[in-house]
Amino acid sequence: MSLFWIVIRQLAEIEAMATSKKVITKEEWEKKLKDVKIRKEDMNKLVMNFLVTEGYVDAAEKFRLESGTEPDIDLATITDRMAVKKAVQSGNVEDAIEKVNDLNPEILDTNPQLFFHLQQQRLIELIRNGKVEEALEFAQEELAPRGEENQSFLEELEKTVALLAFEDVSNCPVGELLDISQRLKTASEVNAAILTSQSHEKDPKLPSLLKMLIWAQNQLDEKAAYPRINDLSTAKLEDPDV
Amino acid sequence: MPTPASSSASASASSSHRRASSDLMVRIGSADSEIKLRALRELKNQIIGNRTKKLFFLKLGAVPAVSCALVQAQAQAQADLLVQSAAALGSFACGFDAGVRAVLDSGAFANLVALLSFPDDKVVDAGARSLRMIYQSKLAPKYDFLQEKNMEFLLSLLNSENETVTGLGASIIIHSCETVVEQKALCYAGVLKKLTSLLEGSPSQKDASLESLATIIKKNPEAASKFVSESRRALNSVIDLSKDRNPRTRLLACMCLIVIRNTSPYYLQDIGIKTKLVYLLLELLDDPGQVGEEASYAFSSLLAQKEDLQKLAFEANAIDKLHNHLKKHSLQPRRYQGILLALAELCSKLESCRSRFLSLEALNLVTDALSHEVADVRTAACICLRSVSRSIKSLSAGRFMKEMIVIPLVQLLHDPSTSVQVAALGAVSNVVVDFTTAKSTFLQCGGLKLLVQLSKSMDPILRLNALWGLRNLMFLADNTCKEGIFLELTAPSLSSLICDPEPFVQEQALALVRNLVDGCLDSIEYVFAEDGIILDAIGMQLQSTSKAEIGIQGMYVLSNIASGKEIHKEAVMHQLLLQVNNGTQAFILKFLQSNDSQLRTAAIWTIINLTLPSSPGASSRVVKLRNAGIVSQIKTMVNDPCVDVKLRVRTALGQFMTVGDGST
Repeated sequence: MSLFWIVIRQLAEIEAMATSKKVITKEEWEKKLKDVKIRKEDMNKLVMNFLVTEGYVDAAEKFRLESGTEPDIDLATITDRMAVKKAVQSGNVEDAIEKVNDLNPEILDTNPQLFFHLQQQRLIELIRNGKVEEALEFAQEELAPRGEENQSFLEELEKTVALLAFEDVSNCPVGELLDISQRLKTASEVNAAILTSQSHEKDPKLPSLLKMLIWAQNQLDEKAAYPRINDLSTAKLEDPDV
Repeated sequence: MPTPASSSASASASSSHRRASSDLMVRIGSADSEIKLRALRELKNQIIGNRTKKLFFLKLGAVPAVSCALVQAQAQAQADLLVQSAAALGSFACGFDAGVRAVLDSGAFANLVALLSFPDDKVVDAGARSLRMIYQSKLAPKYDFLQEKNMEFLLSLLNSENETVTGLGASIIIHSCETVVEQKALCYAGVLKKLTSLLEGSPSQKDASLESLATIIKKNPEAASKFVSESRRALNSVIDLSKDRNPRTRLLACMCLIVIRNTSPYYLQDIGIKTKLVYLLLELLDDPGQVGEEASYAFSSLLAQKEDLQKLAFEANAIDKLHNHLKKHSLQPRRYQGILLALAELCSKLESCRSRFLSLEALNLVTDALSHEVADVRTAACICLRSVSRSIKSLSAGRFMKEMIVIPLVQLLHDPSTSVQVAALGAVSNVVVDFTTAKSTFLQCGGLKLLVQLSKSMDPILRLNALWGLRNLMFLADNTCKEGIFLELTAPSLSSLICDPEPFVQEQALALVRNLVDGCLDSIEYVFAEDGIILDAIGMQLQSTSKAEIGIQGMYVLSNIASGKEIHKEAVMHQLLLQVNNGTQAFILKFLQSNDSQLRTAAIWTIINLTLPSSPGASSRVVKLRNAGIVSQIKTMVNDPCVDVKLRVRTALGQFMTVGDGST
C-alpha cells in the first residue's frame, strides 16, 4: 500500500503550494510519477491476493509457478470454498451445507443468520422446482423453529412461504427471491464466512486501492487541474482541462 | 406464519421423520465402517446450526452412541471416523449446555483430549475444535493450572502451529483461571509472553489472546505490571488492536485496556486514552450484533465508580447516545439490560448526567422497562431508576413520586425474582425520600404494606433493603406518616428486627428508629409503646454488639430520646446504667473508648442531651454518671484527636461544671 501513501503525500504537498487552482501538465505529472518506486513483489502479492480471494484457483496456481509468489492461504482450501460457492449458485444448497460442515463445522453452528439464509435458499429451490409438499414440510420442520428463536428470521420466512400462494410468481411481490441474484447473494455470504473462518480478509485488496485512488483524485480536484484517470480499466491519464 | 399443512399431514411427516432418525441411530452403531462413517456425517449435518435437532437427537441417546464410535475409531486409528465423530460431539456442545453435559457424561472428554496428539492434522483440528466448544460452557471441568504437567500441556497447546489448538489453550485460560494464585501461576509459567506474541497472530489468535490476557490480569496488579513491564511492545499492541478493522477485536482490546486500568493505578491513566476508550465504546454500541451488546457492559465497567470518566462520557454525549438506543423497538433483552446499566452507571454520581437524562424524558423509557418480561431487564431498570433518583434537586421537585413510576415499582416488590425485589427496594428507598409532596402516593398504592411484609422475609438481603426503604420513607416524614408506618410495622416486630441475627439488618432497624424518633417530641413516644420493648431491645443490642456501625445508629437513637422530656431522659439513663448495677462494663464506656470517632461522637452527644443545664434532673444524672465512672472517662478525652469529639467533650464538661455539685 506504500504507493498510495506516496501519492497522497505528494498530493498534500501540491495542496500546500496551491492557493488557487494549480495546473499540472501531463509531462510534469508523468515525471513525478516516475520518481515513485513500486516493488514488483508487492504488485504480485496484490494480484495473488485478488486471485485467491476471488477463488481463481487454477490461475493462482499458475501465477504461483510463474511469478514465484506464495499465496497467503492453502490453495486446496480455495477449491473447497469454490465448490461450496458453486453449489449454492447452481441451487444445490444441501450439498453446499454438507461441504461447509466438512470444511469447518463451526461456521454454521456459530452463525445463525448464515445458517438461516442457506436453509431459506433450500426452501426457495424446493418451491422453484414445484415440490410444494416437500417445501411445506421443510419450512415447518427446519425453518419454523429458527423463526421462533429470532423475530427477523420469522419475517423472512413468512415472505418466503408467501411464494407458494401465487400461481404466477412474476406477479408475486416477493418474486425477487426466485431471482438468480438471491442465489448469488447467499453464495457470497457463505464465501465471506468461510474466508473469515480461515482468518482471511473477505474482500480483495485491489478494489480498496482503486477506491482510495478515486477518493484521492476527488480531493485533488478541488485544488488542482491535473491528468486524471477517468477510466479505471485502461488507467489512461487524461489531459487536464484548463 | 401461515400453516397451510393439515394437522394429519404434519403428523405423518414427523412420524416418518422419527423413523428416519431411529434408522440413523442404528446405522451409527453399524459394524460396517463405511455405513458408520456416512451415518455420523449425516448426523453432524442434521444438528449443525439446529438447536431443535440437537435436543431431539440428544433425547434419542445419540451422544453416548457417537462417543462409543469415537472410542472404537480411536482403537483402530481410523482418521475419517475420528473426524466425523469428534465434529458431531463438538456440535452437540456448541452453545448448548444440555449437549455439553451429555458429552461430559458420555466420558468422551478424555478421548477428545487424546486426539490432540494424533499424527493426522485434520483429527487434531477436529478434537481441538470440539474441546474448545466444551470450554466455552460453564459446565466444562475446571482445568487445574497448579499441577505442573497441566501447565506444561497448556503451554504446548499455546505453542502449537495449529490455530485451533492455540485457540483451545486460550479458551481453557478464559474458562478456568479464577483465583489470584492461578493468575500468578500462569504469569510465571511464561503464558503472558506467549499470549503477547499471539497478539501479532491471525485474527482469531488476536481475539483469543486479548480475552485470555484480560482474564489473567483482572484485579491482579502484579500480573498487570508484569505484562506491561515485560516488553514495551505488549501494551502498545493492545492499544493498536483497539483500532483493528474487526469490531470484535476492537471491543476485546478495549476490554483488555479497561481491565488493565481498573487493576492498576499506574497505567493508562492519561486523558488521551480515557477519551479514546469512551469514544471507541460509544461507537461499538452501534454494532447490531453481539459486539454492540457486549460494548454496553464494557462501557459500564469503564465508568464504574469513576467520576472523571463519567464526566468525559457526559461530554461525549453518552446520555443522548444511550437514550437513542433505548428508543429503538424490540431491543434484545441482553442489549436492553446493558444499556440501562450503562445509564445507571453514568447517572450514579454526577448531577449534570442526571439532569440531561431527565431533560430527554428518558425516564419514561426506563419506567416502561420496569414491566419488561425478562427479569434482568426489570432489575436493570430499577438500578437505573435508583441512580437517577439520587438527584436531590429532582427529588425536591417531586419528579419521582408519580403514579407512573411508583405503581410499577410497588408491583415489583411482589416480583417472583429476588434480585428484582432487591433492586426495586433500592429504587423505592431513594424515591420515597421525597422532600416536598406527601409520601401519600406511595402509601396509597399499597407500598407501605409491601415494604413491611418484605421486612419480615426469610431472605436477609430483602429484610435489609425493605428496612432501608422504610427508613427513608420515615426520613423527615410528618407525624401522620410516621404513625401510619409505625402502626403497620408494630412495636414487637420492630424490636425483633433490632435483634435480627444479621448485623446489617440490626443496623438498618436502628437507623429506622433513629428517623422515627427524630423531630417533634411526640414521635419519641413511639419507643415507649408496649412497655418500651423497642428501647429494651436497643439497650440489649448495644450491650452485646461489637460493630461500630450498630453502636452509632443505636447511640443516635438514645441521643434523640435523651433530647425529650425528663421521663425520656430517665429511661435512657436506665439503659446506660443497667449493666453497672450488674457489675459488667457499661456499653457507653466501651463506646467512649472506641477507635471509631463517629461512635465516640454519638456517645458524647447522648451525654450532652442528658445533662442539659436547663433540665431539672440534670444534676442528679451527673452524679449517677460520675459514680459509674463515665464523667472521669470523658475528662480523659479533652484532647481527643478528632476535632468533633473534642468540641463535644468540652461542651459536656462545661455542663457538668454548671449543673454539678462543684466537685468536678
